[in-house]
Amino acid sequence: MLAIDADSLTKVYKGSSRAALNNVSIKVDSAKIFTLLGRNGAGKTTFVRMAATQLLPTSGSISVLGYDAVRQAKQVRQLISVVPQEGRPLRALTPWDHVYNWLQIRGEDKKQAREKTEAVLQKLELSEVRDRPAMNLSGGMKQKILVAMALAVDAQLLFLDEPTIGLDPVSRRQVWSAVKDWKAKGGSILLTTHYMDEAEMLSDYIAIIDRGSVVAEGTVRDLRKVIPQNTRIDVARDGLDIETLQSFGSVVDTGAGTLRVFTFESSIRELSELAIRRNLPFTVSPVTLDDVFVYLVGNIESNGGWSQRSQ
Amino acid sequence: MVATKSITLPARQAFLIAYSTGILWLRRNPSSLVFTAISPFSLLFVLFVISNGQYVQFAVAGSLVMALVGYGLALGQDISFYKTEYKIQDVFVASPVSPLTYMMGLALSELMFGLPALTALAALVVYFGASLFNIPLLVATILLLWSSMSAMGFFLSSHMLHMRNATQVISFVNVILAVLPPVFYPIANLPEQLQYLSYAVPTTHASLMLQHSMGLPVPAGWSLEFGYAVQIAYLVGFVTLAKTRAIWRET
Ligand SMILES: Nc1ncnc2c1ncn2[C@@H]1O[C@H](COP(=O)(O)OP(=O)(O)O)[C@@H](O)[C@H]1O
Ligand SMILES: [Mg+2]
Repeated sequence: MLAIDADSLTKVYKGSSRAALNNVSIKVDSAKIFTLLGRNGAGKTTFVRMAATQLLPTSGSISVLGYDAVRQAKQVRQLISVVPQEGRPLRALTPWDHVYNWLQIRGEDKKQAREKTEAVLQKLELSEVRDRPAMNLSGGMKQKILVAMALAVDAQLLFLDEPTIGLDPVSRRQVWSAVKDWKAKGGSILLTTHYMDEAEMLSDYIAIIDRGSVVAEGTVRDLRKVIPQNTRIDVARDGLDIETLQSFGSVVDTGAGTLRVFTFESSIRELSELAIRRNLPFTVSPVTLDDVFVYLVGNIESNGGWSQRSQ
Repeated sequence: MVATKSITLPARQAFLIAYSTGILWLRRNPSSLVFTAISPFSLLFVLFVISNGQYVQFAVAGSLVMALVGYGLALGQDISFYKTEYKIQDVFVASPVSPLTYMMGLALSELMFGLPALTALAALVVYFGASLFNIPLLVATILLLWSSMSAMGFFLSSHMLHMRNATQVISFVNVILAVLPPVFYPIANLPEQLQYLSYAVPTTHASLMLQHSMGLPVPAGWSLEFGYAVQIAYLVGFVTLAKTRAIWRET
C-alpha cells in the first residue's frame, strides 16, 4: 500500500490568483523516507498540510494510508504524526510535560507514556533538560521538543516539515538518527527540507518542487543523472576564459570568483594540468544533489549566488 | 468496550489538555493567577464605592457574568495564539483529538485560571442573600454561561485569525454581552422596548438568575424557566456553530 497517493493535487489559497501547488502527483511508498526538496515558497508545506488533513485541497485527490484525506480525515488522523513547520512548545511546560501528556492524549496509558517519553528524550538528548520550562531552553532544544512529541507517537506515517531548522550539527544528526529508527520499525516518512545534505543523507526518494510543481524526482542517484556529467571542477576565474573551459563541458559562474565546470572523470587530468600551469587553485568533486538542485531550480542566495547557467 | 472508550477518551483528552495548559502552567507560573483573579473585581469595587454599597448585589451579579464572558473571549484569544504563534493547533488537527474536545480542554483550562475569582464571586452571591438552597441554581448558571461563552469564543477565534482588528472585535463583543444589557443594573431601568431586546441576550438572563438567587425582585414577565430556555438555546446554538462552522481544517 502507498503511504501517500496524490493525484493532480492543486491548491489555490483564498485571495490568491496563483496556485501554491499546481497539479502535483506524488506517490510515497510505505516504510520509506520521501523528501520534498524545494526553496522557500515552493509549496512544500502546502502539500504536507493537505496530506496531514490540516488543509483542504482546491482540486485533485489525495489518499493517505489508503484513506481519502478529504473525506476520511478521521481515519487518517489515527495513523499519522506531525512536526509542523516553525512550531513552538508552550513556554511554561517542560520537554517531559510536552511528550508525556501528548502521548496520553493520543491514548497511551501512563506506563507506556512514561517509557516512551524517557526513550525519546534520551534519543534526542533532552533528558538532561527534561524538567526545564521550554522558555529557558535554546531554539534548537525547543524544536527538538516538537520532534520528540511526533516521534514518540505510535503512528504509521510521520510528517516532518523542515524539522532541523535552527538545530546545531550534532542535534541535526540526532534527529536524523531518530528518523531512521522510525523507518527501521516500518514507519513511513514525508520530509521537507531545503538542506541538501539532509535530503541526501535520509531520502529513499526525492521530489524537487519549484513554484508549485514537481520539476524532477527519483532517488539521489537518479537525480544526479539530471546533470549529464558526473564530475565537477571549480577553478579560480583569473585569466581563464569561459570558452577554453567550455570545451570540457558545461560551465557556470558561481559568482564567487570561481568557475564551475561539469565534466567527466576523463577530463580531470587535462583540466587540472591547465590550472596548475597557470597557478590557479582548483578543486575536484563528484556532482552533488546541490548542483542538480541549482541546475533545475536556479539561483539561491544561500548557495553561493549562481549568476548564470550555460548549457 | 469500544463504546466506553469513545466516551472516556475524549473526556480524558480534554482533561489532559486542561491539565497541561491550565494546572501545569499555573503551577509553574503562579503569578499569572494574580492578574486573572483580581481583574473581575475592579468594576465591583468601583460600583460599590459609587453607590455606597447599595448597588452591591447588582455589582456582584454583573461582575460574575462579565468574568464568564471574559473567560469565553480569553479562550478565543488563547486559541488564536496556539494556532498562529505556536502552531500547536496543527498538531492537534492532525491527530485523533476532535475540535470539540480541544475546545473543551482549553475552556476547562480557562475555568481553572478563573477559579479563584469565580469562587470568591460565588461566595459573595451567597453572602449577599442567596440561601444555600439556591447554590445549585448558582452553579448551573455559571456552568451554562461558561459553556456557551466558551463555544462562542472558539467559534469567533477561528474566524478572527486573519483579522487585524481582533482585539476590537473582542471588546465589542464584551460590550454587547456584558456592558450594555442589564447585567450590572436592574432591567426595569430600561425603556420597555429595550427590555424586550435585552431578553434576547443570554447574559441578561444569567444576571437575572443571579439577582433572583440573591432575593432581588425580578420582572413580572420573567421566570427561571424562561431564563434557562434562552440560555440553553444559546448554548446549543454556539456549540452547533463551534462544531459545524468553526475552522478546524483550513480551506
Ligand atoms: N495561508 C496562505 N494564504 C495564502 N498564501 C499562502 C498561504 N500559505 C502559503 N501561501 C503561499 O503559497 C506558496 C507556497 O507556500 P508554502 O507551501 O509554505 O511553501 P514552502 O513550504 O515550500 O516554503 C507561497 O507562495 C506562499 O506565499
Ligand atoms: Mg514550508
